[in-house]
Amino acid sequence: MSAPVRIMFVDDEERILRSLALQFRRHYEVLTESDPLRALQRLREEHVDVLVSDQRMPQMSGAQLLAEAREIVPNTLRILLTGYSDLDAAVDAVNNGGIFRYLTKPWDQQEMAFTLRQAAELAVRQTQPLQAVASEKLSAPLTLLLLDDEPGTLGVVGEFCVAGGHNLLRARNLAEAMLMLNNETVDILVSDLKLAGEDTAPLLKTLAQAHPRLLSLVVTPFQDTQALLRLVNEAQIFRYLPKPIRRGLFEKGLKAAAEQALIWRTQPQPLVSRLAEVPRDEREQEKVGSLMGMLGRLRERLIA
Amino acid sequence: MSHARALQSLMRVVTPLAASMSINEVADLFLAAEHRAFLSLPVVDENNRPLGLVSRATLQDIFMQRFGRDLRGRHPVGEVMNEAPLIVSLEAGLEEAAKQVTAQLQYPITEDFILIDAQGEYCGLGTVLDLLKAMEARVAQRNRVLRQALVDLKESQAQLLQSEKMASLGQMVAGVAHELNTPLGYVKNNVQLLRELSEPLFELAAAQARLGQCLNDPDCDEASLSQALHAAEQARQQAAPELLAEDLKQLYGDTLYGLEQIAELVIGLKDFARLDRAMSEEVDLNDCIRSALLIARNHIKDKAEVVQQLGELPRIACAPSQINQVLLNLLTNAAQAIDGMGRIQIRSWADAQGIHVSLQDNGRGMPPEVMVKIFDPFFTTKPVGQGTGLGLSISYKIVQDHGGQIRVASEPGRGTRFLISLPLPATVAMKRSA
Repeated sequence: MSAPVRIMFVDDEERILRSLALQFRRHYEVLTESDPLRALQRLREEHVDVLVSDQRMPQMSGAQLLAEAREIVPNTLRILLTGYSDLDAAVDAVNNGGIFRYLTKPWDQQEMAFTLRQAAELAVRQTQPLQAVASEKLSAPLTLLLLDDEPGTLGVVGEFCVAGGHNLLRARNLAEAMLMLNNETVDILVSDLKLAGEDTAPLLKTLAQAHPRLLSLVVTPFQDTQALLRLVNEAQIFRYLPKPIRRGLFEKGLKAAAEQALIWRTQPQPLVSRLAEVPRDEREQEKVGSLMGMLGRLRERLIA
Repeated sequence: MSHARALQSLMRVVTPLAASMSINEVADLFLAAEHRAFLSLPVVDENNRPLGLVSRATLQDIFMQRFGRDLRGRHPVGEVMNEAPLIVSLEAGLEEAAKQVTAQLQYPITEDFILIDAQGEYCGLGTVLDLLKAMEARVAQRNRVLRQALVDLKESQAQLLQSEKMASLGQMVAGVAHELNTPLGYVKNNVQLLRELSEPLFELAAAQARLGQCLNDPDCDEASLSQALHAAEQARQQAAPELLAEDLKQLYGDTLYGLEQIAELVIGLKDFARLDRAMSEEVDLNDCIRSALLIARNHIKDKAEVVQQLGELPRIACAPSQINQVLLNLLTNAAQAIDGMGRIQIRSWADAQGIHVSLQDNGRGMPPEVMVKIFDPFFTTKPVGQGTGLGLSISYKIVQDHGGQIRVASEPGRGTRFLISLPLPATVAMKRSA
């Protein structure tokens, strides 16, 4: 049997740690830390597959811990478990912590078990070493699809594409976007949550399932922690950038997405660590289902 | 348009005189009934342009002189008219006209003013009295508008106060709701775990009961007995009560602790709001401090370590929910002023002057130009949408209403200290009698 999956929980409330440890000790090797600094130290010293952190802790925030953990052990999957609906923290956790899931307290036992099982599977897959990448492959042109008609967004994305020699596609509505996604291999998607009056979240969620290599950057004036939570869990978005766009942050996000896309392009499919949850909302599930059908051709090509 | 109409309504139609008319003729006109109301009569040229005003007073002066009428009665009126009369355009607004008239008017008032149209032609006369009446009506209307504006302003101020109250209440409720999620998280999980973990114990009990039955039953054969024995042993291994004991003890302990935490928060919320108590009563301010700290804990916990030095305080009459609001406001401000992990020091003590509460943080502090404004309504250093700018001004008012003082000292980079002083009942009584 292979080595058990190691999951570390970090929370300043010991009772949370005891409760979680008791819940999961039969399935995983559970490590607990009430001090995020000690947790970081342990990450340097021992292997951890999945890291689950609380947000509000006296020494440092969960988002900060996850961001630092990402530097130390980038392959460890990061999950935020919080009782606070604090948008700034959530945005920080997405953009800097690159979180796999955003869970809320009090948590649902089944849901938590399911999430950890998914994370564990992904972690096991990731233990296969990354294939060596030739450096010239890391500078190949990419294709970006922009779903936002605001000139500010176009300005930044346009400059980025010109500077990097990438292709830029633009769609005015969801139908056009579907067409482009079926005809081209899109690496990076930059999208507002509204396009020509239509909600783009179902598309983002569909793409997360149909096209795990595509990286989504969401730019939006809309500020809602619950919506962000679902985008993290169900669309596995790469960045969440509140409008008005802050140029520096946006450029950094695009650059990071391009780097990630190029690395993923060189790896076999199963190594890509993007795994989204099926949307909870039934209407959205239906919508994602029908979009999946429309993206059929794309999927076939991916499998081929 | 309404302006033009305003002067139009003041205009009185008077047939103008020619400059060649004799003084005698004009004097007769002044005696005519239709000219009673006028102090003066207009003189125009052949093109109907105003030349001047002949005043009743001028003619009286002439006639009062000895032989005045005989000497000058036949002279043309043009000789004695005022060639620089007050001329107001009908196009002018009421205010403009009033300004012009009052600026040029001389004591005693001996003339009216000429109203002309846009082309400069004579239209009629206006009297100062009519103008005054019109102005007074205008002022009365303005007053009505102002009074209404004042009522509106008071209403919107009340609304703002209410929304600030709602904002801080909302903040508080959200904070406590979030604070509840931690104990709720493990309590819920623990109860589910307890259910799962206790399941095998019931199976063990059932297996042992079956074994007991078999032992008591003379008809139970060897094979059934051995099977029952085996089942009981398996159930025992499955349940492992000796291993479970420790876990269950821990889970029950943690669960009870969590429920106590939840109860404490709910009581804290109730104490904080004090909606069930009278407006003024004998209150220990330290209780207010503890209550505000409990409510603000989630805002503070990842921002600052709180050091309390609470001295013994005499009870005073106050509105505890208002004092709590002040303390919560100061605490959240302090936490927001801290970058990284800081320290908030709360001290309370009593002396001859009264009861004092000092709240000190080692946050960013404020420059003097900010400090002088912090109690001003609507002054805020927070981004739009994050602060109403009313928190401290309301705090100031609450403390003032309690007969107390709130003072601030701050230094950029070192931190800020607020000092609330409330008078003791005796000093309040003394002030009242004085």
